[in-house]
Amino acid sequence: MIRLLLPLAAFAAFFALSLATVRLLRPAQPRRFFLAFGAILVAASVLIYRRLWPLDRLEDAIGLAACVAVQLLLCLTFWNSFYSLLWGFSGGLMHDLLSDPSLRYVDRLVRSYEGTGPTDRIMARRLPNLVAGRYLDENGGRFTLTRKGRLVGAATLAVLRAFSLGMGGGIR
Amino acid sequence: MIATAAAVVSASLAVQTCGASVMAAVIRGRNIYGTVIAVSAITAPAVVGFGAWRLGLGNDGLVFLAVLHLALGGLLFHFMTLPDRSVTLRLLVELLLAPQYTLAMADLTRRYSLQAMIESRLRQLAAARFLTIGADGNIQLLPRGVAFGRFVTAGRRLFRIQSAN
Repeated sequence: MIRLLLPLAAFAAFFALSLATVRLLRPAQPRRFFLAFGAILVAASVLIYRRLWPLDRLEDAIGLAACVAVQLLLCLTFWNSFYSLLWGFSGGLMHDLLSDPSLRYVDRLVRSYEGTGPTDRIMARRLPNLVAGRYLDENGGRFTLTRKGRLVGAATLAVLRAFSLGMGGGIR
Repeated sequence: MIATAAAVVSASLAVQTCGASVMAAVIRGRNIYGTVIAVSAITAPAVVGFGAWRLGLGNDGLVFLAVLHLALGGLLFHFMTLPDRSVTLRLLVELLLAPQYTLAMADLTRRYSLQAMIESRLRQLAAARFLTIGADGNIQLLPRGVAFGRFVTAGRRLFRIQSAN
């Protein structure tokens, strides 16, 4: 059972590395670092596990799979918390409502997200990223999906249908 | 042996994915995250039973198998947040369903409006007892909402996130 401490130790290293990277280097795309740290630490865990507990029995192999799955789960929980809670929409709403009591009316909150430019705050952050990532092409204020964007959109739609999630995007 | 372990991983993931898909189709409107947790918890004893019966695992092996199964359920849980919550993926789906995969900004914001986005999120936060919304649109934070807001604020400070949404 002590084997399950391995993914906990690896996650502690992942968290420390990620925190130090974001605070000290302030990268534009932290997820690339998270991905690299996650992959390196999974590889390290597999090597350490196999050295300490050679795969002699099926139990050892299942134990290795469990350790890797737990490590991935912990790292993904961190990743999701970072992007979905700290950067995400619901987290942002709660942050705004807590820090600015004057926004605690639905219409005022909506107005605060409308912004002053041609696009609201939500679109203004996402659309340029999608264009830069070549998911969309922009032409005279019209947006067209690229092949890459169609692929991701089709995969998303398939998952939405497979799990009866409606149109997704947080709207129910 | 490694092939058997890989087959166990695949089977566990397949059982949970299919189970969540079927349960979501049968019980429409139920929260998908609750569905994934329920499927994971319900199928775990069966997986452990299979491990004891067909794979001949000892106690440690059975614990590893249960942990593996539940961790894979956790990964499925996280995976669901992508299509279910992501604004970015919703934008791609709206464009995918549009003629010639093209929309003007005005059409895009009409199909997926800021007002609808915010009101839906507020309703979900109210349903989860993070806040209440009065008839006049007044929002009151509940203790759980205050704790969540503080968590986000502290997290943003810890990671030096200046502005986000």
